[in-house]
Amino acid sequence: MSEYQHILSTEHLYKSFGPLEVLKDINLAVKKGEVICIIGPSGAGKSTYLRSLNQLEKITSGKIFIKDELFLHREHNRTIHRVEPDAQKAMLLEMGMVFQRFNLFPHKTVLENVMLAQVLVRKKSKDAAEKLAKEIIERVGLSDKLDVYPSKLSGGQQQRVAIARALAMEPEIMLFDEPTSALDPELVGEVLNVMKGLAKQGMTMLCVTHEMGFAREVADRVVFMADGMILEEGTPKELFDHPTNEKAISFLRSIL
Amino acid sequence: MKKIIALALALAMMLSFAACAAKEAPAEPAAATAAAAAVDMSGVKLMQDGVLTVGMEIGYPPFEDFAEDGTTPIGYDVDFAKALGEKLGVTVNFVNTAWDGIFQGIGVNYDCAISAVTITAERKESMLFSEPYINNYQAVVVTKDFSGKIGSFLDLNNMAIAVQKETTSDHLMSDYVSTSSITATISANEKITTCFTQLENGEVDAVVVDSTVADGYLASNPDKFVKAFQDESEPEQFGVAMAMDNTTLQAAVNEAIAQLTAEGFFESNVAYWFGK
Amino acid sequence: MSIFKKLVDIKNWQRTTKTIAIVILAVLALVIVLSAINVSEQDMLNHASDSVKQLIEEEKTSSRKSLTITYDNLGVVSYISFTTSGASAIKESYVGFAGSIYGADQGAGKFAGQMVNYTYRMLGTGENLLHGVKLTLLLTTLSMLIGALMSIFLALGKISENKLISKLSSAYIFFFRGTPLLIQMFVIYFSVPGIFGFSWRSLFSAADPEAVYKGAFIAALIAFSLNAAAYCAEIVRAAIQSIDKGQNEASKALGLSYGQMMRTVIIPQSIRRMIPPLCNEFVMMIKDVSLVFAISLMDITTISKTIMTSEGNYLVFIPALLIYLVITAIFTFIFGKIEKRLSIYE
Repeated sequence: MSEYQHILSTEHLYKSFGPLEVLKDINLAVKKGEVICIIGPSGAGKSTYLRSLNQLEKITSGKIFIKDELFLHREHNRTIHRVEPDAQKAMLLEMGMVFQRFNLFPHKTVLENVMLAQVLVRKKSKDAAEKLAKEIIERVGLSDKLDVYPSKLSGGQQQRVAIARALAMEPEIMLFDEPTSALDPELVGEVLNVMKGLAKQGMTMLCVTHEMGFAREVADRVVFMADGMILEEGTPKELFDHPTNEKAISFLRSIL
Repeated sequence: MKKIIALALALAMMLSFAACAAKEAPAEPAAATAAAAAVDMSGVKLMQDGVLTVGMEIGYPPFEDFAEDGTTPIGYDVDFAKALGEKLGVTVNFVNTAWDGIFQGIGVNYDCAISAVTITAERKESMLFSEPYINNYQAVVVTKDFSGKIGSFLDLNNMAIAVQKETTSDHLMSDYVSTSSITATISANEKITTCFTQLENGEVDAVVVDSTVADGYLASNPDKFVKAFQDESEPEQFGVAMAMDNTTLQAAVNEAIAQLTAEGFFESNVAYWFGK
Repeated sequence: MSIFKKLVDIKNWQRTTKTIAIVILAVLALVIVLSAINVSEQDMLNHASDSVKQLIEEEKTSSRKSLTITYDNLGVVSYISFTTSGASAIKESYVGFAGSIYGADQGAGKFAGQMVNYTYRMLGTGENLLHGVKLTLLLTTLSMLIGALMSIFLALGKISENKLISKLSSAYIFFFRGTPLLIQMFVIYFSVPGIFGFSWRSLFSAADPEAVYKGAFIAALIAFSLNAAAYCAEIVRAAIQSIDKGQNEASKALGLSYGQMMRTVIIPQSIRRMIPPLCNEFVMMIKDVSLVFAISLMDITTISKTIMTSEGNYLVFIPALLIYLVITAIFTFIFGKIEKRLSIYE
């Protein structure tokens, strides 16, 4: 097995926006290859948690470990420990992120979107970047759209490009922030299929999602969050069929 | 990136073109060829050897104006400057400049200003003047059909008056108004022609202006305007304005003016430009 | 190269493009024919009345130069006038068109003659780049280019997280937007040399009779560029901040540095949004150029005022307006094209 126990873990993570506490004492450890789905009512702090992991939000307190190494430690908005900038950049690149609203670069074609960061950040040659980009775009089934601008694509296609763009950086963990919430219902399936394919290939995935069917089918573990706390976690079977927490019960009842 | 380079290239080309084009342009056409100097010029410092650079607000006919080709300066002062240059044995280069700031340019952009500059005690504190080369009076010009009578500036009470901004006329009228000697609306314009157009259109009742300028206008528009009053009591004199420290040039210019006076140049120049 | 291919590829031109091309070619052909058959300068000179010819002869030996011969050739039409100066001025003028010479001392001929003369002078034909339309175009394009380049740094400075840089940039923008351009130009032209002990003229060779004007142009260029930078900075800042936050987050998530993000993601997208307000700014500046009269330069407005002064003819403003309209129309068209080209991805 791998030389580390957890590929990603957080301890006592807190996050406040002013007086509003959105994350309270989040402890979660992810093993390599694990697929974890985070579910819960809106406003539970699921997205904020995901965004805290790759530094799009600054946490108030807590520790973040990557491959068992302390990546960031903050207490009361003060940084106690952080790794060297170069190492930090490298560690952040272990995480790929897919956004609810795709956030593709509208002025770049599909191919350029997938190549851009490879060349600028990974310092690859154009040829190598193009080769990998084409491979990955083929995997998400959009080989015929290489030179098309995002505005000409459907939402589902755009999200698949966004996934390809993240994959092209060859991350070890993929963070999905409600990847299908902005899509028309008939387009959800194509995105979920791509994600299922990724899971099958052994990608470590952390998905905030409202797609319970997907969670039940693909997840190794499901985490239920509400009011900024993890209230229950377990295998899909345990959580969906025998929830114990009252909020989880009422949430599951309301959406199933 | 390529576009930026192309842009930079275009820019450089434009700049070098500007430089070349400017270099090829002929010197101001005014130049009177240098002849043997009639005046001792030893020790006189000019901005450029052999060239008298003259600052002039070309747009004050009949003293200074452009001919119809838009490039040839003509006028009383232009002829005077050329005659002066001939006496000093130098060519004359005219630099067209705005009246605002014309004195700041003396000694920086040109050797002297010859631009209907009135000699005043105030100005004498910051620049040197030559001996006067023409006498001038403040005059009041009205339209032909004006019915009133003007015997002094006090008769301008309750009238609308146009003057050229920052000229002696402007200062004079401001003095009358600020001391409450008269109540009048003063319209101070950039250009003297604007004053006369205002008068013609009935926007103002009278124009207060240098008598020399008034004479020039009346000569070319005899059917429109008349001179209602001329203040003979306080003659003004126009002089060549030079930098405070350029006493050698002042001496040379004064010598040239003396010679020109003796030769009758000023009489013929006045007759040519003001028709009397 | 692609533009060239597009031009050659006539078959695929749009219908309107074809129509415009045909009209332009037709006008061009007409202009060439009319210019070719127009009377020569010598013919125009020979057309002068005997008294004027006699005057020209006398002038050769006279010490006082009173006669000015003005020859303005605009290709299709040309104009010649013989004017004397002084209190008893005489004037004789002709217009040449399509191979014939017409008197221009009264009526329609006079009007046509004046229009040709005024247009010729405002275009600054026969003079160097620091006159008339050429001055206006040179000053606006150069200062707009320099200003736009500076404005990107100012805008990034203003939105920077570094407090000092942000404050400095804001102060710069506030200062140059909060004071009149004319005063800024005065300070740069009059005060700055005084403080630092140099003159704008001395930047050029003393033997150059145009040195004063070139010096004034440099001062004007600096003033206009600094001013344009402040106005453009606000445009650039607004455009940058109008870009969706998600672009920022996606760039960060992909590991792009701030500079990489600005260069490859944010600024390329915001440029399209800058074009319309930049075009406005450009058009405003074309008109602002008239302020250079204050430091001795002659732009279109100054030339028309000068003509007004010497001739008292308000018709001079007709060609001035037309010239401004044509310039504005051309630049609006160009900016529109650029905007269209930059919007292909939308």
